[in-house]
Amino acid sequence: MTSDAAIAAARKPGPRQGPLAGVRIADFTWVAAGPLATRFLADMGAEVIKIEDGRPGHPRIDRIRRVTITRGTGAKSVGHDYGDFNLNSSGMFNNYNRSKLSVTIDMTSPRGRELAERLIALCSVVTENFAPGVMEQWGLTYERLNEISPEIIFARMSGFGHSGPHEMFRSYGPVVQAVSGLSHISGLPGGGMPSGWGLSYMDNQGGYQGTNAVLAALYRRNQTGKGTLIDLSAVEAGVALIGPKMLDVTVNGATTRGGDFPSGNRLPDNAAAPHGVYPAAGEDKWIAIAVMDDQQWAALKRVMGAPDWASDPRLDSTEGRSAAQDELDARMSAWTAGQDKHAMTTSLQQSGVPAMAVQDEGDKERDPQLASRGLYPVLDHPVCGPSRFEGTPIKFSRSRPDLWRSAPFVGEDNDYIFRDIMGLDPAEIADLKAAGII
Amino acid sequence: MQPDMRPYAGLKVVELSEDAAGEMTGKYLAELGADVIKVEPPGGAASRRIGPFAQGKQDGEHSLHFWFYNPGKNSVVVDLDDPRGITMLRDMLRDADLLIIGYQPARLAELGLDYAELQSAFPSLIIVSVTPYGLEGPWADYRSSDLVALAGGGQLNVSGYDDHSIPPIRPGGNQAYHIAASFGLAGAEIALLQRQADGLGQLVDVSMHDSCAITVELAFAFWEYQKAPMLRQTCRHAQPMMTHCALFECADGRYIYAVIMLAEPKPWKALVAWMEEEGMALDLVEDRFFDAKYRQENFGYVSEIVECFFLTKTAEEAYHQGQAREIPIGMLHAPEELVDDAHLAARGFWRDTAGIDGPIRYPGAPFVFSGFAIPAPARPPRLGEHNGPFRRDALSLAR
Repeated sequence: MTSDAAIAAARKPGPRQGPLAGVRIADFTWVAAGPLATRFLADMGAEVIKIEDGRPGHPRIDRIRRVTITRGTGAKSVGHDYGDFNLNSSGMFNNYNRSKLSVTIDMTSPRGRELAERLIALCSVVTENFAPGVMEQWGLTYERLNEISPEIIFARMSGFGHSGPHEMFRSYGPVVQAVSGLSHISGLPGGGMPSGWGLSYMDNQGGYQGTNAVLAALYRRNQTGKGTLIDLSAVEAGVALIGPKMLDVTVNGATTRGGDFPSGNRLPDNAAAPHGVYPAAGEDKWIAIAVMDDQQWAALKRVMGAPDWASDPRLDSTEGRSAAQDELDARMSAWTAGQDKHAMTTSLQQSGVPAMAVQDEGDKERDPQLASRGLYPVLDHPVCGPSRFEGTPIKFSRSRPDLWRSAPFVGEDNDYIFRDIMGLDPAEIADLKAAGII
Repeated sequence: MQPDMRPYAGLKVVELSEDAAGEMTGKYLAELGADVIKVEPPGGAASRRIGPFAQGKQDGEHSLHFWFYNPGKNSVVVDLDDPRGITMLRDMLRDADLLIIGYQPARLAELGLDYAELQSAFPSLIIVSVTPYGLEGPWADYRSSDLVALAGGGQLNVSGYDDHSIPPIRPGGNQAYHIAASFGLAGAEIALLQRQADGLGQLVDVSMHDSCAITVELAFAFWEYQKAPMLRQTCRHAQPMMTHCALFECADGRYIYAVIMLAEPKPWKALVAWMEEEGMALDLVEDRFFDAKYRQENFGYVSEIVECFFLTKTAEEAYHQGQAREIPIGMLHAPEELVDDAHLAARGFWRDTAGIDGPIRYPGAPFVFSGFAIPAPARPPRLGEHNGPFRRDALSLAR
């Protein structure tokens, strides 16, 4: 057995490597979008210090710490879990907060806020994604932060942005997707319920754009010496992702309620057929096939063994295939049903047909391409054990990601930050502890 | 550099991408101030032939797909299948800061483009390769599309309807390409910061497949920590078990998204108080319904009452009245309703650009900075519109 001391030694923070080494971030983010934004920054070498609720019982701790997706318990749907939590056992938290540090500070107390300001003075970036008003309550406006640490970059990630009539609206991923139009544009035609998204897509994309905005601000500050406030509205980021349909509306005056929109798995604006998701062998197994041109259609016919129905000359043009989509989809389903989704993927791809098994996470764990890219690095964690992490989807020839540690325990780095970085004397740290501030 | 200039003002980007991932990467860099020169083949980029089309005109200059991804760029025609075209490209790269390029390995070999050689010829150049599967690995030359990438990445497996006889349904809007573009930009920006420190460029290899694969939220953690498979559910999170419907139809036939079954007490209390004010809460005011577990066990009954309540309101009313009570309700907007949204208008989100035959209204950038403004982009270029300023012909290069 490894002793606690040995674990602590192995997890001890030190100077960071990577292109963002030297950038220190006071990170007030929680849940998903914000922590995803700072995850990439931490992986690339920034010293990201999570500031978590230091009060007894940690009532306002990062809520992802209370999402009990963890080893050794039965799977329960998120939002349907009750009872006791080990705040250091969440797999969701582990995945989103690796490479970061954690300190605890009671931000509701004047002494806590004073301590936080002393920490911010040593940082050049502050990040947050609270509901509107929280940072203001603590007095941490952009103006104040800029006094504490001149030319600071203050990245605020919220649902609706920090101005405008809906500034105070409450949101999380699925609400953002609804309001920004992304849910409505996804589903079967016919005016029924859209299928939308099966995840908080905008937590991911909002987080990614938060990262990108901070990187642009860092580059600019290196050039000009100037900091900036970043006001990232997830709803706006979502509207910016609607794609060409948005211009169909603003330029052509298209309307999207009723009629053939949304178009399910078909591409209504392009003659591409067959284009769909078809059943494969096994329960709820599927394959996506996207024939974009005549050459790919010819290849698909060969893979299917040139069946008689496919020799119909009407089907040799994209226009003809588009007109026959209902029939084509039925034919395709009859051909794919009962076949292994991976074997079909291989034979179709080797013949030049864009196709891919609908992969679940188990398929992805065995995916030879992802494995060859090393997408899922493994890090140990004292409670979670050795675990795979969602790694970096970019390979740099020179800049190396540095995933130096799994996610921190609550307040794991209090001593390192308060003593080694901020230089507080042990008596003061002890006193802050005794007073319930850290 | 003026302090209020955009971060990448003065940078020159050569873009050799015909898919939405590379083109969106270039669009982001243009929004952040870079000059982007789009290199197109003699017939124009493939994206010029993808619909929808402005007024239905399929002449290569009216693709709204092309317009969406390519505002503010310059267009230069270069035939890379002709050796003189490669010479022109190399000439353009001499003073370029970034090259965004979308070719897969087989096509690169066909063109005789070798990134190691380009890096030694242009040591400060940042090459941002944005491809379907990355530059190496057994699938590096596999074909892709938005649907195919969302299948491989895991988004399709979690998106669709409660009825699992219906196949997974593609979330709309080219999102696989958009996910890749977010990392295309991130990769470019990291390389720019690295170059700012040491003056050297590098090769940045972004994979759409990898990018999608890490964008699945709960599904990854449920599998990694509990080996729990996910079940698709209509317009809400896939989970290991079926949960309750979160869409409610309103009086005008439109939908709102509202989760009423979760353990969090505050929104539930606010909803019941709201229903009570309008005399529609019935016995939901009773204490037993404040227990989330009890609510879930009696979901059929609870949801029937809530469904009736929302049917008395338009979606707009439900959205605004609910939000006024701090309930996280979202109306499912159609894109055409966003154009009139008071909040987006007040924030100056939309960008109006004069197009070749009329105005084009663009959504703004995904980020707003206090230190500098991101203006409306210039209109998307006509094919070869900027050959003059940016391309020297092969004859003059030979001299």
